Amino acid sequence: MKLRRFLLTACLAALPLVAAAPAMAQGTIRIGMTAADIPLTNGQPDQGFEGNRFTGIPLFDSLTMWDLSAADRPSVVIPGLATEWRVDPNDRTRWIFTLRRGVRFHDGSEFNADAVVWNVRKVLDREAPHFDPRQVGVTATRMPTLRRAEKIDDHTVALFTSEPDSLLPINLTNLFMASPTQWQRFRDANPTAEAAWNAFAREPSGTGPFRVTRFVPRERLEMARNDNYWGTKARAERIVLLPIPEANARTAALLSNQVDWIEAPAPDAIPQLRSRGMAITSNAQPHVWPWQPCFAEGSPLRDVRVRRALNLAIDREGLRTLLGGMMAVPVGTVPEGHPWWGNPSFRIRTDKAEARRLLAEAGYGPNRPLNLRVQISASGSGQMQPLPMNEFVQQELKEVGVNVEFDVIEWNALFTNWRNGCQHASARGAHATNVSFAAMDPFFAMVRFWDSKMAPPVSNNWGHFNDPRFDEMIRVARNTFDAAERDAALARLHAAGVDEALFIWIAHDVSPRAMSPRIRGYVQPQSWFVDLRLPYVQ
Amino acid sequence: MSTATTPTAAEAELAVQARQAVAKSQGYWAGVWKRLRRDPVTIGCAIVLLAMLLVIVFAPLVAPHDPYQGSMIRRLRAIGTPNYILGTDELGRDMLTRLIHGGRLSWFMGITPVLLAFVIGTFLGVLAGFAGGKVNMAIMRVTDVFYAFPSVLLAVAISGALGAGIVNAILALTLVFIPPIIRVAESVTTGVRNLDFVDAARASGASAFTIVRVHVLGNVLGPIFVYATSLISVCMILASGLSFLGLGTKPPEPEWGLMLNTLRTAIYVQPWVAVLPGVCIFVTSICFNLLSDGLRQAMDVKG
Amino acid sequence: MFFYLIRRILYAIPIALAVGFVCFMLVQIAPGDPINAIVPADAPGDVVEQVRRDYGLDKPLPVQFGIWLMKVVQGDLGRSLATGRSVWSDLSSAISNTLMLALVASMIGFVLGCILGGLAGTFRGSIIDRAAVTIAVAGVSVPHYWLGMVLVVIFSVQLNWLPAMGAGPGGSADWVWNWEHMQHLVLPAVTLAVIPMGIVTRTVRGIIAEIMNQEFVTALRGKGLTRAGIFLHVVKNAAPNALAVMGLQLGYLMGGSILVETVFSWPGTGLLLNNAIFQRDLPVLQGTILVLAMFFVALNLAVDLVQTALDPRIKRA
Repeated sequence: MKLRRFLLTACLAALPLVAAAPAMAQGTIRIGMTAADIPLTNGQPDQGFEGNRFTGIPLFDSLTMWDLSAADRPSVVIPGLATEWRVDPNDRTRWIFTLRRGVRFHDGSEFNADAVVWNVRKVLDREAPHFDPRQVGVTATRMPTLRRAEKIDDHTVALFTSEPDSLLPINLTNLFMASPTQWQRFRDANPTAEAAWNAFAREPSGTGPFRVTRFVPRERLEMARNDNYWGTKARAERIVLLPIPEANARTAALLSNQVDWIEAPAPDAIPQLRSRGMAITSNAQPHVWPWQPCFAEGSPLRDVRVRRALNLAIDREGLRTLLGGMMAVPVGTVPEGHPWWGNPSFRIRTDKAEARRLLAEAGYGPNRPLNLRVQISASGSGQMQPLPMNEFVQQELKEVGVNVEFDVIEWNALFTNWRNGCQHASARGAHATNVSFAAMDPFFAMVRFWDSKMAPPVSNNWGHFNDPRFDEMIRVARNTFDAAERDAALARLHAAGVDEALFIWIAHDVSPRAMSPRIRGYVQPQSWFVDLRLPYVQ
Repeated sequence: MSTATTPTAAEAELAVQARQAVAKSQGYWAGVWKRLRRDPVTIGCAIVLLAMLLVIVFAPLVAPHDPYQGSMIRRLRAIGTPNYILGTDELGRDMLTRLIHGGRLSWFMGITPVLLAFVIGTFLGVLAGFAGGKVNMAIMRVTDVFYAFPSVLLAVAISGALGAGIVNAILALTLVFIPPIIRVAESVTTGVRNLDFVDAARASGASAFTIVRVHVLGNVLGPIFVYATSLISVCMILASGLSFLGLGTKPPEPEWGLMLNTLRTAIYVQPWVAVLPGVCIFVTSICFNLLSDGLRQAMDVKG
Repeated sequence: MFFYLIRRILYAIPIALAVGFVCFMLVQIAPGDPINAIVPADAPGDVVEQVRRDYGLDKPLPVQFGIWLMKVVQGDLGRSLATGRSVWSDLSSAISNTLMLALVASMIGFVLGCILGGLAGTFRGSIIDRAAVTIAVAGVSVPHYWLGMVLVVIFSVQLNWLPAMGAGPGGSADWVWNWEHMQHLVLPAVTLAVIPMGIVTRTVRGIIAEIMNQEFVTALRGKGLTRAGIFLHVVKNAAPNALAVMGLQLGYLMGGSILVETVFSWPGTGLLLNNAIFQRDLPVLQGTILVLAMFFVALNLAVDLVQTALDPRIKRA
């Protein structure tokens, strides 16, 4: 009797806590990023996808968005500021987007078709008063076929592409909608458009679930929950972003309770973090950590035998040990069994004897060692642990007689050089670059690297790869608007890419994060991005 | 003499020493040696440095393993692991071997800039001091300009602008150390030049070159050399600092500063292994400092 | 005396100009076209040409220097390539952070150095002397970035007493002199203080020992002055030199904090410089070096003037 009463009382006492938990949703989450500076807050972040993750998606919305709500299924594209879209059956370069009604920017102005047109023009129309060359690089390369936008009515816009492109809706997840009203306000107060954009970056206004409350350049960005958000509102009250590029400093910051969450903890620190009660999260994600070869005249990586040999020379299981298990072993850009896998005949594995044989066949050996120069970064979004990983690969290749020299540069610079190509001065003669990339959509995964039209400065075909067979396969995929058929076309493309060894595939990231046990509700989707609306502090 | 900065105590002291050195009898160097022998700290440091130098020079013979050959299976072993006495690094390479081989580059980068600066700085300083007048003016004013940069800043600025690499780092560090050596050489030379015996030599018709060679250099090189040894310590710390920042050596070259950098993340797993390169830099640098102190004291009459 | 002051101040002007020239040349010696130091690498061609004309990069080097100098004198250090913000806006906050760190470190170094050096100089040849000298030599020989790492592991990670990075819970922008913020300063300041501590100890020890040997102290002693009286005299005579050394050390710390700031993510000029170097953000690199070097020139001047004022016995030619 007594026991039962006690239990009842206990349950009753606990009830308000349980009931209140979702509503109470509160607290400040302090996040240690890997970037060396706050990613740009003008709407089109720099710093790779870490920028989109932290100053893109939380502050701004795009017409189409990624579903980041679940950990156990691949992330797919869902409606964002557009509720539906379709390609014009008569003109396959014209897309009709129906916009969400009743959405307001943080400054209170209304989101409508004019805003969409304005945001397309900010990067694509050189004549536009608000055209910002700074944003072009990180935007246009991610949607190279988009040409212009036209208002149909207040809540409908037409988007035009240079050629039929079934991938456009996916690409549009990268075009963030900034507030024209806010920008105009700054333009009126500033002498130039550039100055207006700089002012905008200090006080950005989007439609996202968070709005910027405080911006200390190079040190921190504070955002507060947008209580007028059109979708599910965030649970945490405030998010604070801190750039801590050095893995060790991030780990120390978490352990000394200066942050609640760090990106990419040092793998060697993971046991220590676990023992101090920190949660380590990771999940498969569409990510590739490669060496991207230069195919230009004079590059030894023009020879497919050399590229294959390099792929065969690396003991990826050893690399996994180095990373404390925090990576997945790649067999291509996408894993086996993926709809775009396509069963390539070249098996990526460790076979040093075969690697030596291929190198010998290509004319390299003890008397004529292969010397490679690779541009790498010391840190960066998605770059995992670039220094020890590259040093490991260097050592593996040494065993088959390949000498590798590194040109270590800052991440953002490496990323910028990626759009300049391997023949540009900024490559400084590198034969490969080590920019990790997202492979969640076909454009990001393959098209931008293997289409000759995507050579710099258009997009990320850094190596100037040029093969009509690939251009044709890509054209077919882009013109296929049926999902299953498109996957089949992409699978052929992927298989061909692996057979030609168009990358040195080295690792897939599993995006390790470490967070304080006080963080609740966090979901790690199979994506580069996270939904910052979900976590909260207990 | 009014210069941009007041000469440091060390420089003033050296100038005094040089004048005194001139007045010394033949037994001077014997006296120096006698005093040195009675200084256990200096002798100890010299022995430690000599031992290090030998180990480094004969690194391939002494080191138990290959400095580049690692293995993931045996990464980050603790100090005292059989066969890997000082443990292994983040790629499973033998720490002892890496430290021994790393000493080559660290010493090279610590000594080369000072040596270059010693040669160039002494030449320019003696030239300025002996020639006087406009030559002195020109050389010393340019020196003043480089003096207007804090040394670390100058090194970082030059190697930062030129880009990472050993050659650039050495170039930057050499530029950092030339001005102080010029200053010391100039003030010592000026001191010597005005002494009676130089006047006497000049009166006897000796050529300027002979005077410089016999009288000036003979009396000037010693003090500058002592000063330069103290710079080696600073240079070693600066050079490994540049590598630590990523401006000096590149992987996989073993170098103490770079090793410290790459082992940073291992500090949670094997803190003692991770601090070893720092210990090496520390020991070398402190030995050079104490050696320089000992030499200075031994060469100073006041003792 | 008065003429010395005027001359000394006038002399700082050509030095400052020459320092400016060296900073200007930094961009010229950097590999690649200097235009890349001003416009982003992916800027369209017509923009590049426009900027080339605006900055006069098509003109001879001396003219370019003149144009650059005019901009600098007007406070225009250019724009960061990476962020588009004006260099000065980032630099100004970074400088105050570095100044704060360097001042605190100098103070720690100065106080410890004076105590150690004073003890060592007074009891020359004793055990105390030896200990103090050993500490001083260790101070100047230790790679301080390494010391910083070790301190972080001990005090932040193992003991959890002090924060490992940053400039306070709200960043440097809302710095207040309370413990919550000041605890962020402890580890970097102590790390940075070891070098000045070593140098001040050596200097003070030398000065004290020399003064103690001088005849006037012996004379004072003969006159039957108390220890305290003698001490006062010694301090009075030692102060100008010690202060001069300390003043210069402050300058060295300002310029040399890059390693410590990198280890502790302290948002000062060092961290700014480090990022600028690896982003090849040359305007930021150039601006930071220029301002730090100018600060050092000014500091040198100030130290000289103060020293002259304090100690009129120092004869100036």
